[in-house]
Amino acid sequence: MLAYQLRIAANSLRRTPVLSALLVAGIALGVAVATTFVTTFHVMASDPIPGKSRQLFYVQVDNWTPDRPWDRDRPEEPPDQLSWREVQNLLASDLPARQAASFKANLTVHPESREERPFRALTRVTRPDFFEMFEVPFLYGGPWDAAAEAARSPVVVLGEATNRRLFGGDDSVGRTVRIEDRPFTVLGVVAPWAPRPKFYDVTNGALQDPEELYVPLSLTPEMEIRSAGNTSNWKPWDGEEFADFLESESVWLQMWVELPTAQARQEYEDFLAAYVHEQQQVGRLTRPVNNRLRDVREWMTVSEVVPPEAKTMLIIGLLFLLVCSINLIGILLGKFLGRAPEVGVRRALGASRGSVFAQHLVECEVVALLGGAVGLALSTVTLRVLNRLFTEGAERELFTLDLTMLGAGVALALAAGIVAGAYPAWRICRVAPATYLKQQ
Amino acid sequence: MELGPIFRAVMHQKGRFWLVALEVAITLAIVVNCVNLALDLRGKYDRPTGLAEEELITVQVEPYTEELADEDYRDVVRERDLEALRALPGVEAATAISAIPLSGGGSATGRRARGTEDEPSTTPYFVVSSGAVETLGVELVAGRDFTAAELAMRTEDFEGETTPAVVSRAYAEKVFGRPDPIGMVMESSEADSSEYVVGVVDRMPNSWPDYEEAAELSVLMSGRPGDHRRAYYMVRAEPGALDAVFPMLDEAVLGVEPRRIVEVRTLLDQKRETFAANLALVKILSAIIALLVFVTGLGVVGLTSFSVTQRRRQIGTRRALGATQGAILRYFLVENWLVIGLGLALGVGLTYGLNYALAEAAAAPKLGWELLAGGAVVLWAAGLAAALWPALRAARVAPVVATRTV
Repeated sequence: MLAYQLRIAANSLRRTPVLSALLVAGIALGVAVATTFVTTFHVMASDPIPGKSRQLFYVQVDNWTPDRPWDRDRPEEPPDQLSWREVQNLLASDLPARQAASFKANLTVHPESREERPFRALTRVTRPDFFEMFEVPFLYGGPWDAAAEAARSPVVVLGEATNRRLFGGDDSVGRTVRIEDRPFTVLGVVAPWAPRPKFYDVTNGALQDPEELYVPLSLTPEMEIRSAGNTSNWKPWDGEEFADFLESESVWLQMWVELPTAQARQEYEDFLAAYVHEQQQVGRLTRPVNNRLRDVREWMTVSEVVPPEAKTMLIIGLLFLLVCSINLIGILLGKFLGRAPEVGVRRALGASRGSVFAQHLVECEVVALLGGAVGLALSTVTLRVLNRLFTEGAERELFTLDLTMLGAGVALALAAGIVAGAYPAWRICRVAPATYLKQQ
Repeated sequence: MELGPIFRAVMHQKGRFWLVALEVAITLAIVVNCVNLALDLRGKYDRPTGLAEEELITVQVEPYTEELADEDYRDVVRERDLEALRALPGVEAATAISAIPLSGGGSATGRRARGTEDEPSTTPYFVVSSGAVETLGVELVAGRDFTAAELAMRTEDFEGETTPAVVSRAYAEKVFGRPDPIGMVMESSEADSSEYVVGVVDRMPNSWPDYEEAAELSVLMSGRPGDHRRAYYMVRAEPGALDAVFPMLDEAVLGVEPRRIVEVRTLLDQKRETFAANLALVKILSAIIALLVFVTGLGVVGLTSFSVTQRRRQIGTRRALGATQGAILRYFLVENWLVIGLGLALGVGLTYGLNYALAEAAAAPKLGWELLAGGAVVLWAAGLAAALWPALRAARVAPVVATRTV
C-alpha cells in the first residue's frame, strides 16, 4: 500500500515540478534554520561525558566571609571554586576512585629553534587522574603517574596542536620542552579533544577549547603559577610571598571526584562534612556548613552553561519552521483542490476518505523528507557560518551536526510536513464525488 | 467602497484567509522580537564609551625573564617603554595600564563613600601611569588629572595612605550621589584602603561592557601597573596615523627589553572580540528577519494568485458588467489589506506573548510599542507589495473570459 501511495505521490510531484520545487525549498529553508538552532542548543546543553556524568562530582565548600554570601543574588550558593588549602586537604582523602583538582594558567614555552620566539600557552595545571577521569584520548604516550606528581617532576603532556607547533607532529615522547625557566620532559601527546561544553572548567565560558599543555599541580608552589582564570577573594591575604597567597582564602581551583556508587558518594559527603567541622574547630570556614557535591549535569545547570540567547534562538528557529509550514498549507491547498475532479472520480470508484487522506499526507511527507534532506545539507553550511561568526573567523568546530541532530532534522521535517499537509489533505478527502462527476 | 462584499467574500473563503492572517501574525511576532533583540545587542556595542576608540592601540607584554620579577627593574623598563612608544612618529600619547578597557579581563574591588554605612559598590578599576587621561581620550568634567607629583609617588609611599583617583561620572553619582565629589574619599568596608577623588571624567568604560547597569562604573588609580607576568600599554595615535603607528610598536618595546612576548592589537579589534557573540547574533537575527519577511511575502503572493485564478470567471463577469481595471485592482488590494490587517491585529497579542515567553525563558529585553507599530507598518506595506503583482494580473483579465466555460 505504502509503495503504491509513494508511486502516486512521485507522479503527482513530477506533474507540477515548479510547485514541487517550491514546496521542497520551503521545507528545506525551515528545516535548515530550525536544525541550526536546535544544534547550537543541543551542543550547549548536551552531556559532555555521557558514560560518566553521574559518577563525576564537582566539589564545593563554603569558605566565604561570615558577613556576606559569595553571590548576593544567590545567597544559598557556596563559591564556585576552591582555595589551594581546601584542595590540598581534600586531596588527602582516599575515598574517591579518582580525583583531580586543576586550574588554567598561562605559561611561556620556549621552542628549540632560535628563530621562533617564545610563546604563551594556556596550560591545565592538574593531577594525573584528570586524564582517565575525563577520558582524555592520547595520541602518543600517556599521563604522568602519582609518583611523578608527588615528586614534583617537570613533566608535560602536550596538546595535539602544540605538538605540531613544537615537534612537527612527531611522536615527541621523551623529548624536552623548555617551559618558563626549566626543561620539561614530554610524557604524552593528547589526541584532538574538545568536550562541549568544556565541563571540567566553565569559569571562563563553556565553549572554550581545552588547554594546550598539561603539567603537574604539585609544581604550582615552586613555579609560582597563577591562575589565568578567575581568582576571587573576600579579604587581602597577609604577606606578599606566593606562599602567603596559597595559604589565603582566595578561590581559584576546580576539583572533581569520581564516586562510582551511591555509597561512595555518601561516604565522601560525610567526609566533607567532617572536614568542615574539623576546620571550624581551628577557626576557619566560619559560615554555616554548605558543601555541594554535584554531578556533571547538575553543575552544568547551576553554572548556567546554556546562555539565554541559545534558548531564544531555539524558540525563534522552531517558530520560523512553523511559518514555513503554514506557508505551504496555502500552496498545498491550491494544488490539492486543483486535483479535486480526479479525487472525485477516485472517490466515486470506491476510494475511502481515509485512503484519500492518507494518500495526500504521504505526498506531503515525501515533500517533507526531500526538503529535510536539502535542509540538513543547508544547515551544515549555516553551522559553518555560525562557527566562523562566533570564533571571529577562527572557524573552530563549535557546532556540528551529530547523529542525534540528523534525526532531529528528519523529525522536524516530518512534523513540518504534517503541519503543512494535514488541513489540505482533510479538505480534499471531503470533496463530494457527485459535483465533479457532473462537470466531467 | 465595496467593503461589504469584500468582507463577505473573505468570510466565504475562511480557511485560506485565516491562514494568511495566522502567518502574518506569527511573522510579526518573530520579526518584532528579533529586531528588539538585535537592537538591544547592537546597542551594547554602539554605546558611547568616552574613549578615543579609533585612535587606540593596546600593547600586551609578557616578560619571561627572572629579572623582570624585580619590581624596581620593572619600573625602569616601564618608563623606558613609555619613552620609546611616545618617541615614535604619529604617536600622540601613551600610558601603562593594569588591564584593557572593554576587553573582558580586569579587576574590581568594593568601595563606599567614607562616613557612610552603604553596602560597598562594585568598583572596577584600572591602575595607570602618567598620560592616562590624555591617552584614553576621556573628557574631564570636574577636578583635574593626576599631578606629576602624585604619579611620581610609589606604592610604598602610599602605605596606609589615601591615594588619588579619577572616577567616571556614573561612578561619582552611584557612590557619592553627586557629579563632582572632588576631594571626597571612598574606601573599602574594612577601611584598610581608600582613595580621594581628584577628577571626574564624563564617560569611562570598565573591562566588562556587557555588564549592563555597571558598564560605565570605572575608576582610574595612580600606581605601578603590571606585574611580573604581564603588563599593558595603551598608545593613542594621531588622527589617521593608526595604521602607520601599529607595525612599529612591537619593535619599539622589544628594543627596550627583548625577553618578552609582545602582542599588539587595536582597541576596536579587542572590542569586537569581546562582543563577538553579540555581533554574530545581530547578523543571524538580521538574516532571519530578512528570510522570514521573504517567505511570508511569497506566501501572500501564492495565496492571492490562487484566489485570482479561482475567480477568473467572476472577474470577467464583473468586467463585462462594467467594472474598470482599477476597480478590480482595488478589490484585490483591499481584500489583501483586510486579511493582513486581521493578521496584524492577531499579531499584536502574539508578539507580546512571545516577548513575555522569551523574557521568562531567556531574559530577553522588554518590548516597546514603537517597535511593534513600526513592525506592523512595514509588514502591512510588504504584504501590499506582495499582493500587487497578482492583483495586477487580475485587473488584466479580459471581460470575454466571462462568456467562456473553462
